[in-house]
Amino acid sequence: MAIDTDKIIQAVMQGSRIREEKGIIPLFGVYLSMISVQYYNRISFGFENMADNCKDAEKLLVDAGQECGYTTFYGIKNSWEWQEVIMPMIETVEDQIHCFVSIAIAFGWGDLMVQEVVPGEKLVIRSNDSYEAKGYLDAHGQAGAGKCYMLRGVTAGLMDLLYGGGYPESCFQYAATETQCQAKGDPYCEFIARKAVT
Amino acid sequence: MNINWPEKFARKGHELFLSELPIALHCHHYNLNLQKTLETSLGDDGTLLLYQASEESSYASFTSFLMQHPEIKSIKSKLEFASTSYQYCGLGIIKFNDIGPEGGKVVSPHSHHVTGWLAKYGRRSTPGCFFSRGWIAGVLAVIYDKHIGYFWVDERECKMTVAKECVFEVTVA
Repeated sequence: MAIDTDKIIQAVMQGSRIREEKGIIPLFGVYLSMISVQYYNRISFGFENMADNCKDAEKLLVDAGQECGYTTFYGIKNSWEWQEVIMPMIETVEDQIHCFVSIAIAFGWGDLMVQEVVPGEKLVIRSNDSYEAKGYLDAHGQAGAGKCYMLRGVTAGLMDLLYGGGYPESCFQYAATETQCQAKGDPYCEFIARKAVT
Repeated sequence: MNINWPEKFARKGHELFLSELPIALHCHHYNLNLQKTLETSLGDDGTLLLYQASEESSYASFTSFLMQHPEIKSIKSKLEFASTSYQYCGLGIIKFNDIGPEGGKVVSPHSHHVTGWLAKYGRRSTPGCFFSRGWIAGVLAVIYDKHIGYFWVDERECKMTVAKECVFEVTVA
């Protein structure tokens, strides 16, 4: 069965309208929030400016994205919504990546596309409209390097989850680079995750 | 006041909007990891950045929300509107029962950040609702027609330290 992205997006849209009495959105095994992308961009790029070494800040922000991708999608994979809505679509391990990416699109992280999956070795994801790249360009102008820290980390986190080993020890087995970024004038943003070099 | 929040939550292609403003769905893992990263790396400067980022975004969002609802005029209605927007965004419950133009007290019995922090990292020894503090400062500035930074919000009690509820003190900065 092919992965039905529209069905996944619809499930997220419907589920994210549910509020429990505490004003929390429990969906796909995690607690969701709806927050302006302005907030996230202000934090990322503000942190980068304030840190003594912006390379350290970049690493920490990518790590936060990677841990997010790893733990969030682990929770999602173990949710009843995954079992009900998504499991019937999955035939191979790699199908799960397409489902994860469909959920990320549903979360408003960008128009993500899986370009290449080499099982256990490599994952390539592209986006033509990342809120991080757009936010950087709007606030700071053209960048000298890639600025999509969250998406870069998430790309590696997905590989950790599927090929890294057992949860929760397998985070950071993979590392991703952002080879193209619209914030630096490239036509799209591209993330490539491979096994981390230790 | 009857606001149809689900109607305001819309998808245009791959983008999500709430009342025409671009938003993203993120879960507690990312939100609280970011908080911990900033707090650990930058200390007070990091928590101030969390506060200010939240204040700026809530100021912008709530300004836009009110522009789309000119029928919401009274302070009481605006406070109620703010409270329902907090709840709709999955941020929790917030009560503006004791607030005025010179400040006051705001109480939150439940929040995304508290639930998420406790689930992910466990109990804290110090208050940790930096997002909510900034959010309150931003919406109150809009409601009382003040500039960003007019109000300063401290957290006197915090559920992350296992207090019964989060209690915020609002003063004129």
